[in-house]
Amino acid sequence: MASAARPVDVELLRRPNLPSADVRLPAVKDYEQVDDEIVATLGPQPGWFIALGIAILFLLIGASAWAYQIYTGLGVAGYNPPIMWGVYIVTFVFWVGIGHAGTLISAILYLFRAGFRTTIYRCAEAMTVFAVMTAGLFPILHLGRPWKFFWLIPYPNWRLIWPQMKSPLVWDVFAILTYLTVSTTFLYIGLIPDFAVLRDREKNPIRRQLFAQLSLGWRNSDREWRHFTRAYLFLAALSTPLVLSVHSVVSFDFAMSDVPGWHTTVFPPYFVAGAIYSGIGMVFTIIIPLRKWFNLKHYVTINDLDAAAKLALFTSLVVGVSYACEWFVAWYSGSPAEKQFFANRIWGQWWWASAVLYTCNMVLPLSLFSQWCRRNTTWLWILSIFINIGMWFERFVIVEPSLSHEFEPWQWATYVPTWVDYAILLGSFGWFSMWFLLFIKQMPVMALAEIKEIVQPRLKKPHEHGIDITGHHLPYDHDTPGEFE
Amino acid sequence: MRGVVAFFRELDATVDAVETLKKRPLGDFTVYTATPRHEIEHAADRGPSAVRRFTLVGGLLGVTFGYWIAIWISDYWPLVVGGKAIATWVPYTVFGFEVMVLIGALSTVAGLFANARIPRITTTVGYDARFSHGDYGIWIEPAPDKMQEAEQVLRDAGAVEVRVER
Repeated sequence: MASAARPVDVELLRRPNLPSADVRLPAVKDYEQVDDEIVATLGPQPGWFIALGIAILFLLIGASAWAYQIYTGLGVAGYNPPIMWGVYIVTFVFWVGIGHAGTLISAILYLFRAGFRTTIYRCAEAMTVFAVMTAGLFPILHLGRPWKFFWLIPYPNWRLIWPQMKSPLVWDVFAILTYLTVSTTFLYIGLIPDFAVLRDREKNPIRRQLFAQLSLGWRNSDREWRHFTRAYLFLAALSTPLVLSVHSVVSFDFAMSDVPGWHTTVFPPYFVAGAIYSGIGMVFTIIIPLRKWFNLKHYVTINDLDAAAKLALFTSLVVGVSYACEWFVAWYSGSPAEKQFFANRIWGQWWWASAVLYTCNMVLPLSLFSQWCRRNTTWLWILSIFINIGMWFERFVIVEPSLSHEFEPWQWATYVPTWVDYAILLGSFGWFSMWFLLFIKQMPVMALAEIKEIVQPRLKKPHEHGIDITGHHLPYDHDTPGEFE
Repeated sequence: MRGVVAFFRELDATVDAVETLKKRPLGDFTVYTATPRHEIEHAADRGPSAVRRFTLVGGLLGVTFGYWIAIWISDYWPLVVGGKAIATWVPYTVFGFEVMVLIGALSTVAGLFANARIPRITTTVGYDARFSHGDYGIWIEPAPDKMQEAEQVLRDAGAVEVRVER
């Protein structure tokens, strides 16, 4: 990279970090420090190569299992009629859900002017794109003839037949493709000014040329910023309902059928809240090690994590209420099939999966009512793993118990995933991690331009009336205690 | 193209220079800043961005196309179910909405590109790598007889370096 990182001011790092409404990053002094410290994260690290190697190994395991499945047939997966939706559909919904937090953080919290998003949104956005890329593979993996996946896309074809536009599966194709396109666009547009920074610092002519192409000749002019900020605002405004719609549409895959446990109007908000909850969990899983390994604790402050933890707590409560609604409706509906199904889900055949789900998604997150837990990064990271596990099991509990316990008792069955299912599940984590690891070494993990916006600009003279040109009160009022840990 | 480029270390000095250039027009000017600053936007007073029109038109075209494609396909390849309409707007709102967002977002990007004049493939006179790092800059294209006056205005506002470029 063009220049080495500026030495970290150790004394400053040791002092309590006291971000406030006025000064969010007190340990960051100027724009140059932002560039130096964040661009320095692009340098090679041995741990990164090891992590990438592990990710690729997992990916190869998954790819091998898929090749075996294509060669042998879908029978090698754990499908057991009438249970024809298995781990692939569960994992598809899981990854789409993971993809939700990125756009929530980058778009919705942007519109709400939530300050804590600034330092974590780039990671969350990248996570969204790679999670949706991962999710998009699973409907294809689920097909007996995966090379025919494009039959779901409406296009003029020699058969002169078209998709069934009233099918939720076709809605899904539109929703996921739109989400992937808009999320990728949003990520790239935000990266353009940062590519310009990399271009201007880069000494290697090939990389410099590459960054010049990616930056589209960005010059940081007032004309460019004026249109950029508007475009960014509109992209955020368009992405906001998209976040809510995509998982609603995914939930229609279930809710539009009359299968017990699925045919319920609570599914869209329930799915959206669950998706945001799982996405925040994955953000914690990623950002907590990242801020440590990249020495960026003075950017992603404890206050930022605390605020994100409150969001996780809120969404876990919404998810908990949704579970309670399901139980209530099953009892109140008077439908024997629905009652039977829920009894089987909670006390019968699937009790163990329900126990994992409720423990991870309803019980453990209650710890976030404690400020100590919200500000303890070790606990947050451990909790995030439980959230990921719990949310995968939520989808498992939605899909498998319903299909295994429909209206006709003679149809009742069970479902046991095979090694192929597990290998492909592992491969999906390898695929996701590989892309994310490649991303963090090629592009800034934090938005340089947006972080500079919250850094005190250099001024010739303080503004009159004790308020400087940025609207900050002088002297700064450190009213929110915090620490680096 | 001949002009003057000035480098500023401080935001308020840059704003002072922009306000002076608005009061004493010496030619077209461009302000460079590493991050969007409202102070500069207000001082330069360029008016509202036209990107919003691209978003609106794109969104309207998208929602129209989304409904149309779903209705057209249903009519072209009807799947007849007793008591059910061949084409119905309720489920097709999913297509209307998704395509509205898709085309609206892509139109917004097109609007950004058209108005910000990117992608730009030529090196631009007046730009300096310091402008993406922390310094502020102003590029001004005065008439030949006003070149010195422009330099003086920029220095008086607090520019740490002023130079003529072509």
